[in-house]
Amino acid sequence: MATRKKYDRSLPGTRELVDKIHHGIFIDEGSMVAFPLCFPGATTQIPADESRITAVCSGPHHMVYGGTSGRAAHVFVGMFHGVTGCVVDLGMPEDTSGTAAVCCIKDAWVAACNGPAGGQLFRGSCQPVPFDLIQEWSFSLPPMERIGMPVKGERIVHAVPDGGEGLLISTTSRLVRWSGAGASFGVLSEHAEGNRMVCLPGGVVLGLRDARSVWSWDPASRRFEKSAFALPQTIDTSSGIRWAAGNAGDVYLGDSVGNMFALGAAGGDARKVATAPLKPVTSLAATADGRVFGTCGEGMEHFLCYNPATGKIRDIGMAVSIFERRRYGYAFGDAVTGRDGQVYFGENDDLGHLWIYFPALLPVKRGS
Amino acid sequence: MKLKSKFFQFTGHPLSDSCWSLSVGPDGRIYAAACCECQPGETVKVVRYNEKTDALDYLFDLDVMVGDPRDSGRATQCKIHYSFAPSLHDGIMYMATHLSGPPIDLPAYSPWYFWHDKERCFRGAVLLAWDTKKDSPAWSDTLYPKEGCRCLLHDEERGLLYSISYPRDHLFVFDIAKRKSRDLGRIGSINAQALFLDRRHRVWTTSDYGHLVRYDPDKGRVEHSPEPLPHNPVFQSGWHSVFYDVAPSPEGDCVYASTWIAAPRLIRIWPEEGSWGKVEDLGPATQDRDTWIPVCTFLDHCGGLTFAGDRKLYYVASRWFKPDTHQEKDVYKMDAQKPQGVIWQLDPQTLKRREIGVLERSDYFAQYVSRGAVDHNGDLFFAHVGKTPVGIFRVPMPASHKRPDAHLPLRMWG
Repeated sequence: MATRKKYDRSLPGTRELVDKIHHGIFIDEGSMVAFPLCFPGATTQIPADESRITAVCSGPHHMVYGGTSGRAAHVFVGMFHGVTGCVVDLGMPEDTSGTAAVCCIKDAWVAACNGPAGGQLFRGSCQPVPFDLIQEWSFSLPPMERIGMPVKGERIVHAVPDGGEGLLISTTSRLVRWSGAGASFGVLSEHAEGNRMVCLPGGVVLGLRDARSVWSWDPASRRFEKSAFALPQTIDTSSGIRWAAGNAGDVYLGDSVGNMFALGAAGGDARKVATAPLKPVTSLAATADGRVFGTCGEGMEHFLCYNPATGKIRDIGMAVSIFERRRYGYAFGDAVTGRDGQVYFGENDDLGHLWIYFPALLPVKRGS
Repeated sequence: MKLKSKFFQFTGHPLSDSCWSLSVGPDGRIYAAACCECQPGETVKVVRYNEKTDALDYLFDLDVMVGDPRDSGRATQCKIHYSFAPSLHDGIMYMATHLSGPPIDLPAYSPWYFWHDKERCFRGAVLLAWDTKKDSPAWSDTLYPKEGCRCLLHDEERGLLYSISYPRDHLFVFDIAKRKSRDLGRIGSINAQALFLDRRHRVWTTSDYGHLVRYDPDKGRVEHSPEPLPHNPVFQSGWHSVFYDVAPSPEGDCVYASTWIAAPRLIRIWPEEGSWGKVEDLGPATQDRDTWIPVCTFLDHCGGLTFAGDRKLYYVASRWFKPDTHQEKDVYKMDAQKPQGVIWQLDPQTLKRREIGVLERSDYFAQYVSRGAVDHNGDLFFAHVGKTPVGIFRVPMPASHKRPDAHLPLRMWG
């Protein structure tokens, strides 16, 4: 083994190197704010061991709905536009300790939560825009309704809107559809393991059939195609997969060993586009300009940025919030893009915060 | 009463820049950690005060003891940070290591920067069981990989060691019989610097926003108190009002704590009263200061809380004479401020405080004391952080303030 020489602190550049070591690992483009799961100054946070955020989605009025896991599950809504700035706890789905997904359909939210008896769906009304949250306010919290259990005794892995008024639900062994009314569920397919899915802007839903192929659901024709696309290589699902869908119909898939695939809007041309800086990929979201942001790694996750215009992926560092709430972010469970291209990341950790990431602006290319 | 101190410099470890741990062992003697966190490629040496020679004995180099050499290229086993924990029934002194010392060929180390670097990342906190009867190691094990141990506590009745990991700020419990660690969850981002145990075997510490945090083994849950601890109401929100040092009363019914970091405050907590204990604000530990500039955290400080044989609380708080403006140019340059480490005595009955001495170090200021302890003879000892090489202070107590076995009951945390 080579003998290492003791560092000489009088060397030029030492101060710069020290600064790089101490600060250089944290997010190096854009800004992050960790928002607590409460209305600061008006409510207490969701208990620390019940606040691991494992699901987020966007809802009416550009609000963010989410669900937690831990000792108990909670459903919450965050509002950050207008004179708002709060997270409201919408309640605890009974007998559950984890949230697999939260979806908004019209004016209602639906949460897919797991407990000892298996996975269940719960529903509630979305929040209206409140009065000025700097001055005075009132909130109504309508009771949440238990819809039912898609597959008796089975855990729900994920759920997404089905493009209509219902949901597609992936349990550990089946793909199930809920029409949006009543408590009846129809089995679309059986599979060896459940995985996450993605609902594209037009309502088409994609999911993994097996390690080499993707199924699709078309809400218009109600057609379920078992092998819609082939993947260019076997993907690793051992720690789960993550999807992201952009406005232009571009779809991305990240796997447990950091492979990043792109599926074209029309399908059929799935290809590997990048390798995440760390493995596994733990969240992904495509923002308004086409860039894809996400998290990856274990123990201390890093943020990634994939730019389809350049085909490059960058490790943009670790999460740190220095505005108001000073916090390091180590683990993330889900991500969704907000109104202006900011990305909301759900912190999958004790005392989890909703992290709002404001990407750095790209230089404007002036027209001729 | 006016107390005099004697400084025992770590001349056997000339590069030592900090002494974060000083505790009384199960044998009634004083153990201290000669840490070296700034120099690349160094290690902590464990020392013990020898009352026969009135000098320090250097027991071992920790990197050698645990087989993690200082020149490996990884972050070093550079310190023991508030992580001595005695075991009375078998004479073991537990100690756990912490990180921050740079690899030999780098000027600095960050556990965030190097987390995913297999070559550089800290191997992990090592738990060493030192047999004070045999003066030899009983065993050692990894407490957790990649992270350091910020503070350690021993629940002797249940055979458990509790600790807080750094930097991820998780509370862990280590089962001594099974030699197995269990992660009890994350607390926050700032590490509290101390844990304490109540008579119901509940483990207490603090969160980033100055709330009490308690692990109740019967519930199997880490909970946060609804109210923050007392803090300076003028410019503090409770943020960063975490425990710095916590000393148990001799009766075991309450603890005395100082907070970390800005404007340290003294607090008394009766953990078994009410649902979250009774918390008493004993006021600021250090002087009033200008509030519009941040003061160096090594200047405004209080630590070294310990009860002596007279059942009174002793601690060291800093005092300075000019506003702090030195910042980072030279952290040791404090000629203008002329800081002092003032020894205070607090009477638990009346809560009255009185100054009973100033720590004297001929070559530097001694305003920063991390921990204090009383040995079996009843003399006070304080650990010091400052200019290289650092060391410990011995403060002989008058006979009227001593008693046999003054170190008992043992403080079970670092």
